[in-house]
Amino acid sequence: MGDLIQAVDSPREITGAAQRLREIAQRKEIAPQAVLELFEQWAAALNDRELHDVPGVTFLRLWLRRGNLEPLLLRELGPSSLSGGWWEDGRARLRAFPLGVVGHWPAGNIEIQPILSLTCALLGGNCCLVRVPSGLVSVTRRVIEKLQEVDRNGLLSERICVISFDHSRMDLHESMAQAVDGAIVWGGAEAVSQVRRLQFPHWARVLVFGPRLSAAAMDATTWGDQKERSSWCRRIARDVWQFDQQACSSPQALFLERGAGGDPSEFVEHLREAFHQENQQHPRQEIETALTSAICLARASWLLDSVANRALFPVSPDWTILLGTGTQMPNPTQGRTLSVLVVDDLLQVISKFDGTLQTLGLGIGDAQREETLARAAGRNGVDRIVKLGRMHVFGSPWDGMELIRPMVRLVRHVPSQD
Amino acid sequence: MSALIEIEQGIESLLMEPPYGMDPQQRQRTLLALLKKELAYACDRNPLFRNYVEQWPMDFRGAEEIANLPYLPVGVFKANPPLALVDGDDIKRTLTSSATTGQMPSRVVLDAATAKRMTKAVTAIFRDFIGPARRPYLVIDTPQNLAAQSQMGARGAAIQGLRSFATEVVSCLGSGAEGDLTLDVEKLLASAAKWKDSDVLVYGFTYVIWTHLVQPLQGQGITLDLPGVRVLHSGGWKRLEQRAVTRDVFVQGVASVFGCAADRVVDYYGMVENVGVIYPDCDQGNKHVPAFAEVIVRDPLSLAPVKAGERGLIQVCSVLPTSFPGFLLLTEDMADVVGYDNCSCGRSGISFRFAGRAPKAELRGCGNLENTRYQRGEGSAVAWAT
Repeated sequence: MGDLIQAVDSPREITGAAQRLREIAQRKEIAPQAVLELFEQWAAALNDRELHDVPGVTFLRLWLRRGNLEPLLLRELGPSSLSGGWWEDGRARLRAFPLGVVGHWPAGNIEIQPILSLTCALLGGNCCLVRVPSGLVSVTRRVIEKLQEVDRNGLLSERICVISFDHSRMDLHESMAQAVDGAIVWGGAEAVSQVRRLQFPHWARVLVFGPRLSAAAMDATTWGDQKERSSWCRRIARDVWQFDQQACSSPQALFLERGAGGDPSEFVEHLREAFHQENQQHPRQEIETALTSAICLARASWLLDSVANRALFPVSPDWTILLGTGTQMPNPTQGRTLSVLVVDDLLQVISKFDGTLQTLGLGIGDAQREETLARAAGRNGVDRIVKLGRMHVFGSPWDGMELIRPMVRLVRHVPSQD
Repeated sequence: MSALIEIEQGIESLLMEPPYGMDPQQRQRTLLALLKKELAYACDRNPLFRNYVEQWPMDFRGAEEIANLPYLPVGVFKANPPLALVDGDDIKRTLTSSATTGQMPSRVVLDAATAKRMTKAVTAIFRDFIGPARRPYLVIDTPQNLAAQSQMGARGAAIQGLRSFATEVVSCLGSGAEGDLTLDVEKLLASAAKWKDSDVLVYGFTYVIWTHLVQPLQGQGITLDLPGVRVLHSGGWKRLEQRAVTRDVFVQGVASVFGCAADRVVDYYGMVENVGVIYPDCDQGNKHVPAFAEVIVRDPLSLAPVKAGERGLIQVCSVLPTSFPGFLLLTEDMADVVGYDNCSCGRSGISFRFAGRAPKAELRGCGNLENTRYQRGEGSAVAWAT
């Protein structure tokens, strides 16, 4: 791959890179087993002390494991996907083929997202042209270096071209869009809209993971359970801490269903302890000044809004718990600011979800009740319903969409001998 | 003696002190004690404010430093109705900030006592910088902004703050047919000719001075020949920065059209929420805090006060307001701390330099393309393990 990440300045460089990738995609098929094997080795190589400071690298190691990806391939691409062969479909045969060159526009706030995005396309046998946001160039380089260490023959590395350019260079975005057969786009509303407006070839498939919010919810039996309370609070704290509460799957609010089980104030005392502990283990190294201002304003606005509102927070902006009542999803502050809202009925909350909610993290004691809530959540636009503590587990489908299948073509062959 | 009377007496005695000459330790002790009384008073007057103060992680009654007292972020004054410690009937004036387009302005309510103190305090500060003499006052604004009104914007309040130094007041801008500001050159030249050998006081918002005075005069090649002028300006640099006008370019431009030395042009920092307190540049280019106020610059990461040489968010503290809880306010502005009690200009206390507005926070979904996250070592594996 030569220089790992190329800073490009002209459309011609992008066209040239895409052309090289297309030739490889057309000339050389790569067997799914070969991809899985290299991913497995990459995962092992990422277990390097030097990379421990990269947020999400532990997650990435687990994502790349064969045990994680094999079931995903089987589910999305069918029973023969591991062997790369055809499978019977009545009188016809089906087989997955790559689209060709897949362009990636990852978001700038999740360090490992460029890698996660490209692995999805590689699993489908594609080549990848990845535009890395300027803030992630260094971290992406460090992660890809580890792939190069294990991929001595360049089997996967030659299929990846990572480029960087200023986000305002629309000419370069345009040229990238015109050079790809598919695209995976991640980001905020403005960012994804900008990419969607680009002139892709008419055959290109564009997969968009736009901005979403997430929430957590617990029934009274669960949050009122004295024995398990600390454990649940630790799970919630982890979900809040990961990705600094900036991911789509980060809980911004926790809804507690009222019940005879206990006092929400007692519960948030446990949550305070869990947040404190999590903060000691994973303190912030830096913060944007505007986020500090936003956190201070969220605390004050909440407490000045009603004398019934409560808040728990340290003097620093490290974390904040806002306790009160309400069935509406609050405006998120992020920065480890969790609204804990007591409600009479979780269904009231879920019925107000409007499609912006991606993940609902649940702690529900009764399976039948959970089934009711999950069905209501699905109807109201929620795409992922998971146990608390697992809100960021990246898997397929994500945002209601499969991750590998959209970037492959299922070719149907009806043998002529019949 | 009622709590309010005790507070008012405390404020009055601080206003009697030379604004920058008080012994630093005595000043800290006095301010701390008075601010605690004001917090207690505000808690009695406003249950919502009490709710905030009671849930602050430290009890203010036991605080040994001003930095440990509970402070409000300045954004809370954008709420409607504005936070108040007085009944509606007692509100004499509402000050509004100069919000940029699409933003909600801050609003603070003044009763008669707070308004009076505001004037007294601003006068004391200006007197320390420009001397006590009264002189002709040229306002780079429209006549409409000269009058004190019950609803007053930041520009109006700033103009009013200098009136007590004026022998006569002349405004040199008018409103054009489409509401745009126009310079009345004839009026300006006539006033300049009349005041040629006098000390003259000039005030205007920074961008108004540049856009509606300096540029038109430079365009016409006019110099006013007022070497004894003192040009005060405030209101921030954002709009000029957008036009790539640096401070040096601004000061040179202003000095050239007035025909004065560059050190006659004085920038000051102030905000309506911090009523009665302004921070002019001293001859060393630093800002100082008067006896009845304090500035704490806080590290955005920890919110702890920063050391000399470091940058952080500005917290303004003032004992002056008793009509709204504006004693301790965390602003969205940044400052560099130059030093403590060691400025060559002779003023004691913190010396700082304004370092601009903190950029606006944007909500991150699975993100904004160009924004990075600043977190290390989070434990993704945990999610898988649970």
